[in-house]
Amino acid sequence: MTEVAENPLLAGLSMRRTGEPCAMVIFGASGDLTQRKLFPALYSLALNRLLPSAFGVVAVARTPMTDEEFREKMRNAVEEHGSAPLREEIWAELAVETHYVSTEFTAEGGEAAVVECLRHLDETRGTEGNRVYYLAIPPKAMEPTVEQIGKQRSTSGFTRLIIEKPFGHDTQSAHELNALLTRDFDESEIFRIDHYLGKETVQNMLVLRFGNGIFEPIWNRNMIDHVQITVGESLGVEGRADFYEHSGAIRDIVQNHLLQLVALTAMEPPIDFDAESVRNEKVKVLRAMHTPGPKHIVRGQYGPGFVDGHEVPGYREEEGVAPDSTTETFVGAKLYIDNWRWADTPFYVRTGKRLPRRETTIAIQFKRAPHPPFEIDSEDSLRPNVLLLHIQPDEGVSLTMSAKVPGQGMTIRPVHMDFSYGGHFRSNLPEAYERLILDCMRGDATLFTRADEVEEQWKLVDSMVAGWSRDRPVFPNYASGTWGPVAADALLHRDGRSWRRH
Amino acid sequence: MIEDASVRDIERELARLGATAAEPGQSVLRTRVMTHMAWVPPSWETAARGVLDNLGDRHPSRTIMFLPDPEAGRDALDAEVDLRCFAYGGPERSVCSEVIVVWLRGRCSSAPASVAQPLLVSDLPAFLRWRGSLPFGAPELEGLLGVVDRLVVDSGEWEDVEAGYDALPGLFSRVAVSDIAWARVEPWRRALAGLWPAIKDVDTLRVQGPRADATLLARWLSARLDRHVSLDHEEADETVLVEAGGRQAIPERADPKSPSDLLFAQLEIDGHDPIYEEAVGRA
Repeated sequence: MTEVAENPLLAGLSMRRTGEPCAMVIFGASGDLTQRKLFPALYSLALNRLLPSAFGVVAVARTPMTDEEFREKMRNAVEEHGSAPLREEIWAELAVETHYVSTEFTAEGGEAAVVECLRHLDETRGTEGNRVYYLAIPPKAMEPTVEQIGKQRSTSGFTRLIIEKPFGHDTQSAHELNALLTRDFDESEIFRIDHYLGKETVQNMLVLRFGNGIFEPIWNRNMIDHVQITVGESLGVEGRADFYEHSGAIRDIVQNHLLQLVALTAMEPPIDFDAESVRNEKVKVLRAMHTPGPKHIVRGQYGPGFVDGHEVPGYREEEGVAPDSTTETFVGAKLYIDNWRWADTPFYVRTGKRLPRRETTIAIQFKRAPHPPFEIDSEDSLRPNVLLLHIQPDEGVSLTMSAKVPGQGMTIRPVHMDFSYGGHFRSNLPEAYERLILDCMRGDATLFTRADEVEEQWKLVDSMVAGWSRDRPVFPNYASGTWGPVAADALLHRDGRSWRRH
Repeated sequence: MIEDASVRDIERELARLGATAAEPGQSVLRTRVMTHMAWVPPSWETAARGVLDNLGDRHPSRTIMFLPDPEAGRDALDAEVDLRCFAYGGPERSVCSEVIVVWLRGRCSSAPASVAQPLLVSDLPAFLRWRGSLPFGAPELEGLLGVVDRLVVDSGEWEDVEAGYDALPGLFSRVAVSDIAWARVEPWRRALAGLWPAIKDVDTLRVQGPRADATLLARWLSARLDRHVSLDHEEADETVLVEAGGRQAIPERADPKSPSDLLFAQLEIDGHDPIYEEAVGRA
């Protein structure tokens, strides 16, 4: 508004949602994430003219490489992983802004080349001392890197840190990491990335709930029987055995993605879409979740089986996995949220590897019609309504309801009403990393995880795994290509329910 | 083509096409986010069909194209009904839009709204793209304005640009108006805004470009500065030069936009644009 008051010609001209001038420093630049996600996202932002007018990338890693070699590698990465075909003139603009620094950043004097490169960008590109540090580094490198950045932080302009998960491996380590980060940086400067929150469909959950008057009055224990959240992967560990052996499904998926989905489903309406308002409401949900007892948690590990028609090995046969590993590749749980809205309404959640297909869904199952006045063939033909949110793939929403089959009798069948993103909005959905990197450049932390959120997530996870070390599970207990262990089905059957049919 | 068609015939054909659209093993999603109507006099038909061809897969809608033929010698509707399907998410799935072309023969050409009303998709916005000059007060325009939420014009298509702008504000209280010429000059408006405050005292705007774009820019500048800015205009097929107070406005480099791109952008807009309305109303 101030800009328009000073310049009346700006009235009505939409201000493009570009980032603020800055230099982006990527630590761990020779790694997989940089190639698969970060550079394709930066290219897409460049293509859509969303990068700041004054911008530069400083890619930092130990691997010796020249600027040209790094640029060529990233160009190939964009061609392979980008969502749009590479256009030479756009790539050339991004490439000229990209510099590679081969150094051991945390070693004595190792930071000098990075500092010099940033100073050069400030002078030649006008990045004004503004810094976005992207830490795509392993946990063990986090502490010295953060300390070094703290020592070198710019005295002019802003400094923002984007931190990749894992945010610790339990409550204690998460607390220590937060303490480390806040030693030199304010919480408002820390952007913990959970790429699930950058997905359009996850954000659409908030629009669905709070932008439509019809859902909120029925979004509670009075009308909803239970909620099912599935984060399923058909892939195995895919070369990540070293990481996965230490994390398992509960730390890899439940602690972050899955609990985020629970929080977004269950949260109260925020007063606005401000970062603090949204995150305050999510934290309240996490605090209200009570610890599930051992009977409410199922863990599993996949054995050999068939996925997509191909025979696949069991987890213990995967390269890098101990032959007697007890790492869980599946977790199912019944969670409760102790507040007025959700008391006694179970949230059944499950995640696993080598499930029959890749899908992330949130299914809101409503209570059955209390007294159907029809003479129907069986109870099964009159099913409860289900609002299904497809997070990935096939992004969209569908509502299952009952309809009369045309004819003389009263035969009832469930039918779907579908809203498909791909069908209704024919523009490409932006990749989560595009949205999140841009948000960080703009200083908007709404879709990033706050310190207290992380710690609440870990408290719940710690309580869930507390009993696991006491007994030795009989693994593997589900075949690849199935929906997890039998015990996961029993978890719902005991309550007279079952997992959604697929 | 269905000759002497009724609206019921059109609806039946839509239903038939919808039921038979899917190949075995394929699922078809018929989606609509709006009703998009186009009034297309014969001289605009080729251009309008070209835009439509490029629009369908981006903006699923029910499109109703009216082709007026008042001299036909008979009063009737002829119609073509088509389902245009586009693959998405793999070959086994497609999304379809409905395209209805209606030839309004004889006196039927003065009452398109009576055809449009029963074919509107309920509860979704209705847009009307009017090709060529606006016949202010004519029954075909008046009728359609009564059933749409937004009128989309391109003042560059008007024979008398000044007269068109002078009459257009009379519609603003009834319907939201989008002007594709307004979208075309946006980069130039942005560039002029970038010259602020050096141009705050200018009294002349020099434009080399189409008459409509130039007039619109001058009226906009007058409205924003709240005083008259005269126009020094030199005709060209597209805007190539804008100068205010001896300073040249340089727009940001961007990919050229096709007519479909420009229309697509207008179909995304919701509600009135007060800055456009002030500009047009500034004589």
